Amino acid sequence: MNLFRSEEHIERWLGGRAPGATIPVTTLSDLAHAWWDDRVAPDWRPHTRDGNQAILDRLGLTGPFWRLPG
Amino acid sequence: MDERDLELRNLTYGLFVELGRAPSAQEVGERAGASRDEVEASWRRLHDAHALVLNPATLELRMANPFSAVPTAYRVHAGDRWWYANCAWDAFGICAALHSDGRIETSCPDCGEPIAVEVRDERPDDPSLLFHCLVPAERWWADIVFT
Repeated sequence: MNLFRSEEHIERWLGGRAPGATIPVTTLSDLAHAWWDDRVAPDWRPHTRDGNQAILDRLGLTGPFWRLPG
Repeated sequence: MDERDLELRNLTYGLFVELGRAPSAQEVGERAGASRDEVEASWRRLHDAHALVLNPATLELRMANPFSAVPTAYRVHAGDRWWYANCAWDAFGICAALHSDGRIETSCPDCGEPIAVEVRDERPDDPSLLFHCLVPAERWWADIVFT
């Protein structure tokens, strides 16, 4: 789960491996803020699988790659 | 994972932020009024529930996601301290968890050139950067350190 300067850098880094998913850093920031916002709250409770999937869905991170295990 | 485990988990995270580093089981126990053995047993259950990650060889904290207990390629300045994040996602996650602006420093895994991102009001200052996730979501926890 890395940051890159461009698609060209990603392709070169992959070196022929099958790519995963690439998203803009702005979407990553939105994802991180939705996912981790409550993580150090003193009354934190575990997220549900469906709650986490809803975060991904809301940001357009849909399809098999972004499908959490059931 | 029961209510006592959650209590110890939340205390562990609170101490991580307070100390600026991973607390030991002894330190968590002293704060919680629990023995080291009780904390370690709880941490193992939390590890199994993916609520934190232990070093399997030492039973010390490896990750209190999004924080890393060990140095990584992702350094984050947030809340007046430097932290290590487990990955790019977690780097933004540290700013999110601390409800803080921040600065993320890493390097391009391809060319090695430095990458620095300022995070202000939850937005990165360089929107041209890309995030690549190699492992599909269904396998993230099969090997969380690799992911």
